[in-house]
Amino acid sequence: MKRTIALAATLLAVAPQVESATTTTAATLPGADQIVTRTLPNGMKLVVWPDRDIPNVAMYIWYRVGSRNERPGITGISHFFEHMMFNGTKTRPPGEFDRTMEANGGSNNAYTSADVTVYQNWFPSTAMPLIFDLESDRMRNLDFDPKKVDSERGVVYSERRSSIDNDNFGTLVEQMQATAYVAHPYQIPTIGWPSDIEAWKVEDLRAYYQQYYAPNNAVMFVVGDVEPSAVFDLATRYLANIPSQPPPAPVTTDEPPQQGERRITVERDAQTPLLAMAWHAAAAPDRASRVMEVLLAILGNGDSSRLYRRLVDQEQAAVDVGTAHDQGFDPGLAWVYAIVPPDGDVARTEQLVDEEIARLASEGPTPTELTKARNQALAGFWRGLETISGKAQALGTYEVFHGDYRKLFEAPAQYESITADDVKEAAAAVLRPENRTVGRLVPPPRARGDAVATGAVR
Amino acid sequence: MSAATPLHAWIAGAALALAASVQAAEGVKLPPVHRAQLANGAQVALVEKRDTPLVAMTITVRGGALGDAPGKEGTASLFADLIQKGSGERNAAQFAEAVETAGGSLVASAGSESLGIRASFMARDVDLMLELAGDALQRPALASDEFEKARTLAIQSIAAAKDSDPRALIASYGDAWLFRGHPYGRPVGGSEGTLAAVTLEDVQRFYAAHVGGDRTIITVVGDIDARAMSSKLERAFGGWRKAGAPTPRAPAPQAVSGRRVLLVDKPGATQTYFWLGNVGASRTDPARTQQTVVNTAFGGRYTSMLNTALRIDSGLTYGVSAGFDRASQPGAYQVSSYTQTESTVQAVDLALATLERLRRDALDAPTLASAKSYLLGQFPPTLETNGQLAGRLADLLFYGLGPEDVDEYAQRVAAVDAAAVRSAIERAFPKPADLAIVLIGDADRIRAQVGKYGPVTEMKITDPHFAPPRT
Repeated sequence: MKRTIALAATLLAVAPQVESATTTTAATLPGADQIVTRTLPNGMKLVVWPDRDIPNVAMYIWYRVGSRNERPGITGISHFFEHMMFNGTKTRPPGEFDRTMEANGGSNNAYTSADVTVYQNWFPSTAMPLIFDLESDRMRNLDFDPKKVDSERGVVYSERRSSIDNDNFGTLVEQMQATAYVAHPYQIPTIGWPSDIEAWKVEDLRAYYQQYYAPNNAVMFVVGDVEPSAVFDLATRYLANIPSQPPPAPVTTDEPPQQGERRITVERDAQTPLLAMAWHAAAAPDRASRVMEVLLAILGNGDSSRLYRRLVDQEQAAVDVGTAHDQGFDPGLAWVYAIVPPDGDVARTEQLVDEEIARLASEGPTPTELTKARNQALAGFWRGLETISGKAQALGTYEVFHGDYRKLFEAPAQYESITADDVKEAAAAVLRPENRTVGRLVPPPRARGDAVATGAVR
Repeated sequence: MSAATPLHAWIAGAALALAASVQAAEGVKLPPVHRAQLANGAQVALVEKRDTPLVAMTITVRGGALGDAPGKEGTASLFADLIQKGSGERNAAQFAEAVETAGGSLVASAGSESLGIRASFMARDVDLMLELAGDALQRPALASDEFEKARTLAIQSIAAAKDSDPRALIASYGDAWLFRGHPYGRPVGGSEGTLAAVTLEDVQRFYAAHVGGDRTIITVVGDIDARAMSSKLERAFGGWRKAGAPTPRAPAPQAVSGRRVLLVDKPGATQTYFWLGNVGASRTDPARTQQTVVNTAFGGRYTSMLNTALRIDSGLTYGVSAGFDRASQPGAYQVSSYTQTESTVQAVDLALATLERLRRDALDAPTLASAKSYLLGQFPPTLETNGQLAGRLADLLFYGLGPEDVDEYAQRVAAVDAAAVRSAIERAFPKPADLAIVLIGDADRIRAQVGKYGPVTEMKITDPHFAPPRT
């Protein structure tokens, strides 16, 4: 679906894609030596990776703004702003951006997370000058038609109803994030709280545009059937004269260390209760995040993982299990979740998860498990680089979160360096009860009777 | 068993020039494909593609859920689940361990007319991939304890899906409601009710009757040597027995005349999810490209007529889409969206009015030109990865289509004119008066209003089936 938020979705997208690699180096990656960069005088950086496998281009523009830059009253505005980037400029009326792009063979999308807002264009290489024109126009001339602001509010509310309000996982994750963070803005749901969705004002959008949508707060990635010099010529023509802005105010709040377990219960109609746990972990560039990826893969990635085997296969205490890992500028959450069977005992499921974590913390992983995690990361690395879109996403992740796109090619060595002791120590140090929020979604007492009756139909 | 038949190039390099009149940017061609047939009749298509050290494979066995006995829907799907839970020398845990330790992926699943495996491994592990896939299909353990677990999980997964975003499930209700009495209306994964009736003996019978090398298509794309791979496939699959029963086929479905409404009650839902459908067109329909062009303009892209009406101009929804389910026979043509409960009628009315407008006004010249340009520009990324190519080759072989389905796609799109648009609309797009309609939402809050769309049949989302049994 178009223009999405990267929120609850992270819980369901289990396999790490480009974040992982092992025995690969830049030298063995075809075309990696062709990557060229340039920074325009106004501070906008471009990274170009020529790849002529298909006659198309993937252009991703990353802005360093997301819901972590918000505050009470305007929660969700980063994501709403992303929608408004498609809704008209001083030179093009609402709708023309999409109509022009599609009529020239292009398509687009965008997503907003807690940390970044990313605009994606996919088009035949012949359309590149036009795409530069469209992007430059909305970076310079965005306009806010009050009628569009109102109708787009309805669209975003529908998106919220779909991904949060009418989806049990979405509901639970939102409540847990708001519980796990008491100070840091990662507590804010990227889609926004309902009363804020109803209350955004055009002035808020204007202020956001001024502060965050400046060339010096953006990086452009162009991958595909292009000549770098032609890309830089277009950038000079269309983007170089957009004025830079003072750097946005940094997010300075650190989440204080958690001092004891937090537990929440969400009551909702459900045949299958949900259990999730979220621990405070590290920021994206931290080596501890690589260790956590390996740890979570060993715990919950695939049918041979510890949690799947114990909870789903052996004990039938879960319909499915999984892990997720929020990696951004600031320390994020590491997640473990389980879908509990219709007549299952949530407390027992939780106890089994605890046992498996305790076992990993006391014994560490086996050599086979480490090898498996590495091979999964290596294969995931290659699968992520099979497409021009995947390459653009990988470059963006490393350039923006790790500070340099070239670290993509150093990742293999980082994974190689992770030892069994690293994983064991991380399990003990991070996956502690005092450092976690436990969330349970269960049917309210009245509906629990119904759920049992439904179970009996089987 | 016999030696691999000689390879012959399906598409010689010279044929690449065939579509030279279409600009390079407007289309992609299939790479050279090496084709072979195994001793038991299995068809093989291979592509050497060495830009990554990966290999993708598909194995497609004709039949699939068409072979499910009546009332035992989900049998083929359970079979697919079960062959990953022990085969050859490996039990379930060892099988998963072998796949995942190599960093591979191997998924078996059933479809409405086929079942099979999709796999992706590092090139260095290609022998392991063939061994695992060969074991799964030819030497499955079909153990009773694993069967019970798989069946229970399948039933519970449906319950979990009903607690989640209804967008993922509404097509199951739609197909069940539209194709009543036709195989395409039977749930491929079964329902909670039919899964409860499936036994291990049903699965074993299904395996003997409907799974075999004679009705199988194997495609491999990636960092391979085609000749060597062909020999490996002959060793791995050439001795696979034939299936015991004739390949089941679906009859032509009957389109809906008039309207009927299925209201699925999900108490507390704050949105109504709706699905409007009728019988559309098959995968091999000679007018498929024209239909796709029309659908792109009507409901297949962001600026489509439907998305413009329901999202861009009115803010009624986050998204609306429309499209054809194409199979051997015409599947559903469907329009699907959702809106807050209070605007249910407004949104459904608008969708119906937009469909009426398409049938009345067709497409104006700029819209037609834009849709064609969009399809051409977005086509190359559909054949970019090993997995996409392997899937497309299997699709062509399954439906008996030649390489021109891909190679001449750009020319076919470019040739669509106003007359072709009119004809496609008339034949493949439903009249608003003839629709099967599904609404999932809080029935107490919409029941009184939706009766105007036609006779309403009501059920609960927790009912153990996707459409009420016919009375």
